[in-house]
Parts: sequence; structure tokens; C-alpha cells
Amino acid sequence: MAFEIPRTTYSGKIREVTAGKGESALTVGGETAFPFYLFEGQMPHLPRLAMEVYDSPPSDWPEAAVEPFKDVINDPVNWAKKCVKEYGAEMICLQLTSTDPNGENRPADKAAEIVKKVADAVSVPLIVWGTANHDKDVEVLSAAAEMCRDRNFILGPVEEGDHKQIGAAAKEFNHIIAAATPIDINLAKQLNILLGNLGVPDDKLIIDPTVSGIGYGIEYCYSAMERMRIAALTQQDTKLQFPIIANIAREAWKTKEARISEKENPKMGEAKRRGILLEAMSATLLLMAGADILVMRHPDALRLVKELIKDLAG
Amino acid sequence: MILIGENLNITSSVVGEPLKAKNAAAVQAMAKEEAQAGIDVLDINIGPMRKGGGELMEWAVKTVQSVTDKMLSLDTANMDAMEAGLKVSKNKVLINSVSLQSSRIDLGLELAQRYKADLIGLLWSNEGMPRDANERALNTVNFVYKANAAGIANERIWIDPIVSPVSVEINQVKACTEFLGMLGEIAPGCKSVAGISNVSSGTPVELRCWLNRTYMIMLMKQGLYAGIVDGTDKDLIAIARGKQPEVVKLVNGMIEGEKPNIASLPKEMQNYARTVRVLTGESLYSHSWLEV
Repeated sequence: MAFEIPRTTYSGKIREVTAGKGESALTVGGETAFPFYLFEGQMPHLPRLAMEVYDSPPSDWPEAAVEPFKDVINDPVNWAKKCVKEYGAEMICLQLTSTDPNGENRPADKAAEIVKKVADAVSVPLIVWGTANHDKDVEVLSAAAEMCRDRNFILGPVEEGDHKQIGAAAKEFNHIIAAATPIDINLAKQLNILLGNLGVPDDKLIIDPTVSGIGYGIEYCYSAMERMRIAALTQQDTKLQFPIIANIAREAWKTKEARISEKENPKMGEAKRRGILLEAMSATLLLMAGADILVMRHPDALRLVKELIKDLAG
Repeated sequence: MILIGENLNITSSVVGEPLKAKNAAAVQAMAKEEAQAGIDVLDINIGPMRKGGGELMEWAVKTVQSVTDKMLSLDTANMDAMEAGLKVSKNKVLINSVSLQSSRIDLGLELAQRYKADLIGLLWSNEGMPRDANERALNTVNFVYKANAAGIANERIWIDPIVSPVSVEINQVKACTEFLGMLGEIAPGCKSVAGISNVSSGTPVELRCWLNRTYMIMLMKQGLYAGIVDGTDKDLIAIARGKQPEVVKLVNGMIEGEKPNIASLPKEMQNYARTVRVLTGESLYSHSWLEV
């Protein structure tokens, strides 16, 4: 008897979600098989690589992470332009850390102006990320949503505690929700149901499963994402059939292993190489688990991951 | 099926404080309510209480047995408190529980033997929670071996396979169900007992009953001898007593592979059907599982 290669039986498909407007719009999702199982199904849209831009200069980054952005670090508009033009970012993830009430506490209207300036300056879809402070995120993300109505941003993180308000703003002003839950597939499903009940359309929702870097529990993230895809693709779980965003850069670069200098510990080797590889390898794992959008930081890490995607999609 | 009522519990919002304060009227009212509802065995849970545990258990046993003749199940990790309760019990007692951990098992078996009590054999070992049905089987064999060596016959051992919350790990729920079907062959004569309400731990309170009742039916199908249950859930007790055969038929039918058109069922039956789907792992649990 001839050997037959076992095949997974798929009964579901990941929804397609289009971010951005007009010519610069990008679609993610649409998979009919597990990540890169191209021998079993399709990945009509390959995973997209976003790059981070911060609305105020980061104070706690290791030197290697700052270096590529030295000339633009005080200027989110030019930072974003540089990411797109020089480094090939397919999306920009604007991290609004300055709005943190425990930090600079920049008011919502001022933050929204920055969002608009960045959006006007680049021709790629924008991901607008708050500080996970529910009250402040409601103000900031709602203001940005209104000021940039119909531009189809991805707004996050939207959690159970603020999903009603941010969900309503996203619906009214036509943006996409990144529904964030803490590495828990049951809670992820629940938040998607709640957002659906609120009237957020299925093509305006993506999942943020919460990720961490290598050495800091990435295996739990992998497992949660893998189970989401198993439920979505083989168990017809319509409430999990959404693209996944992984906000990995900040997790990889805040680890001790990425931050410690070679001088401090010569055994750890060159710090720059270490940070880039940690970011790239963490991103690789999340790609294998089903990420559709990866939020990256270092251009070299982005290049490595881009090449890998190209190879895998061969 | 034997129903063990879980309501006399130090963590209960109803009788927790009265129990701590030794308020006899409130504790006796709950005991009577459970007995009248048709509960067979009353569990008295004082938690791991170290200080004053013995005194409290002794008081609780005396207080409860002055209003009911039902069998008691004594639930505490404090073995001195356990012994204090055993000493003053009039009827045969169920010790809840003795785990397989080497720090606990010898003393637990000794108490059961000294007071001629039955005991719940909790399949928690030195390695912690068993990971699947096979590890549960292994732990059962080890437990029964030790109990037999201590002179305790299988008929006095009630094996607890450990029910996990569906909102935490569906594979553990499935493993528990699967194991129960194997128990009769592994340990002939042993009884089985399951903490039914654990399956709904973490679920919004008003929805827990659907998971509890449905999971009880699923375990009954596997031959469950006794369930530790919410003694105030009248429908659950009615199901256990065979008074809601249509619900049992629906659940059992689905376990055997029937696929009813859920949307066409009356709402209550829809709830049972959707709950079967999450408890078998066919559909992923979320707090809104009854709506989708």
C-alpha cells in the first residue's frame, strides 16, 4: 500500500481585515491552513511587518535599539517616514507612551494631533497604541479616532474594561479594534463576542493575544495562539477566526538579555547582535504560531524576518 | 447516585461567617435545608484552619448532627481537626480527603482505620495534579495499594479524580471524564466521587448551574457513584434523582454522537446542549457560551 501523507481537515477560514485607506490599504488574514502550511491550504496575504514609532523619545532603550533612529528620535513624523522609506516598514505602530497618566500624561487632544501628523506623513496603514490605562486610552484613542475618521487605523489595546467606549468610537469613526486579553484563549473568545455584541463588524476586529519574548514565557503565547488557530480553522469557532497582531518588539528589547552591555558581561557577547537576534527569533516563533502583523523595532531584525517570510512562502 | 452537599463551607458567603463565629442557628438552618432538599451526605468544610480547627470541627459536627442523622463528610487539610470531628461523630463518616502525597497519606489512612471511616482518595500526588487519564489511573493504583496495605478495603475508598474548571483547561476536564470510565476496571469495588462544582469555578455565578448539571450528567454516564454538589440547586438534585429524563436523554444522546439542531430546542434545552459542546471540547468555552 502506498504511503499517504496525513492531512489536517480544515473547516474554517481566518477573516480578511483591511487596514488603511485607498492605495495604501493592506489586507491581512484569509488563511485556510495553519501558518505556512502551504501544502494544505492558502495564505493569500503574507504576515505584515509594522515598525514602532514613539510619540516621545524613549529613555530606557539599549543603545543598539536607539542607533538606527538617532536622528529622528525626537520627531515621530520623521521617525515614521524613515521607517517606511529606509527600512521598509509595511505599517507604522505609533506607541503613545507619552499619554501615560503615570508619566508625561500628555492630553488626549495633543496626542491625537500627533497621530494625525504621522498619518498624514506616511503612506502605510497606522496602528495606534495606548498605554493600557483604561480611562486614558478611552480619551486618547477616541480623540484620535475622531480626528482621523474613516482612515481605518488599528486601535489598541482594547481590553474588556474599555471595550465599550473604544469599540463605540471605532465603530462611529470607522477604525479597526485590536482586542487584547492576557494570554488566555477563553478570555480572547469572550472579548470578541462582547465586541460583536456591541456591533463591531467582523472585518474590523483583530486579536492581540499578548505576547512576550524568548525566555519570558513565549511558549505560553505560542500555545494560546496555536490553540486559537486550531479552534478557528478546524472547529469552526467563528469567534476566533480573526487575524492576530503581536506587539513583540518592546517585549524583546526590555529583557535583561537584550539590555545588558558587553562590558558588563563579556560572556554575553556583542549587545547589538544579541538584541537583534532576540527580536528576530521571538518574531519568528510568533509567525509560526499564527501572527498576521508583527510590530518590530530594529531594521536588521525586520530584514531577517522579512527574508524568512519570503523563504517560507517560496 | 449519592449527593454530597457542599454548602456547609467556611468560604461560603451564606454560612462562612456563622461557621467561624459558631452561630449554631445559621449552620443548622443550612444543614436542614440541604437535608430537606434531598442531599444524602453533608460535607463540613472548615478549610485548612490551623488555629482552633479542632475545636471548630468538633463544634460543627455536634451542631449539625443535633438536627440531622445524615452521614457527614469532614473536609479539612488539618488532620488534628479531622480527628476531633471523627471522635464526636455518631454515624460513619467520610474523610474528605486523603491525598497521595507522602506527607499526608499515612496519617489519613491511619485515621480512617482508627475511626472506621470511609475516605476520599484524592489523586493528588507528590508530583501535583495528574496530567491526564493515565496518570490518574497510576495514582489510583498507588493509592489503593497503600490503603489495602493499611487494612482498608476497596469498598471504603471513594476515588476523587479531580475536576478542573472548564475555563482553565478543557483537556483536564476531558481527562477526568475519560478516567471515570476506566475506574471500575482499575480498582473494582472502589467508589467514585467528584467535586462537580469545580467545573464551573471562574464562571459568572448565575451561569454556573448549567455547567454543574451538565457535567454531572456526563459523569453519571461514566458511572459516577457520588457527586459533591450545590445542595441549593433543585434542578440538579432533580436530575440526579431521575426526575428530568428529557435533559439526561439530550445530554447522553449528544455524548453518543447525536447532533441536535440546537437553535430549534427550547431555551433551557439549548443551554444544556451548548454546555455539552463546551464540556466535550467540541466548542471552546467563553463566559458567553450559552449565547453562541
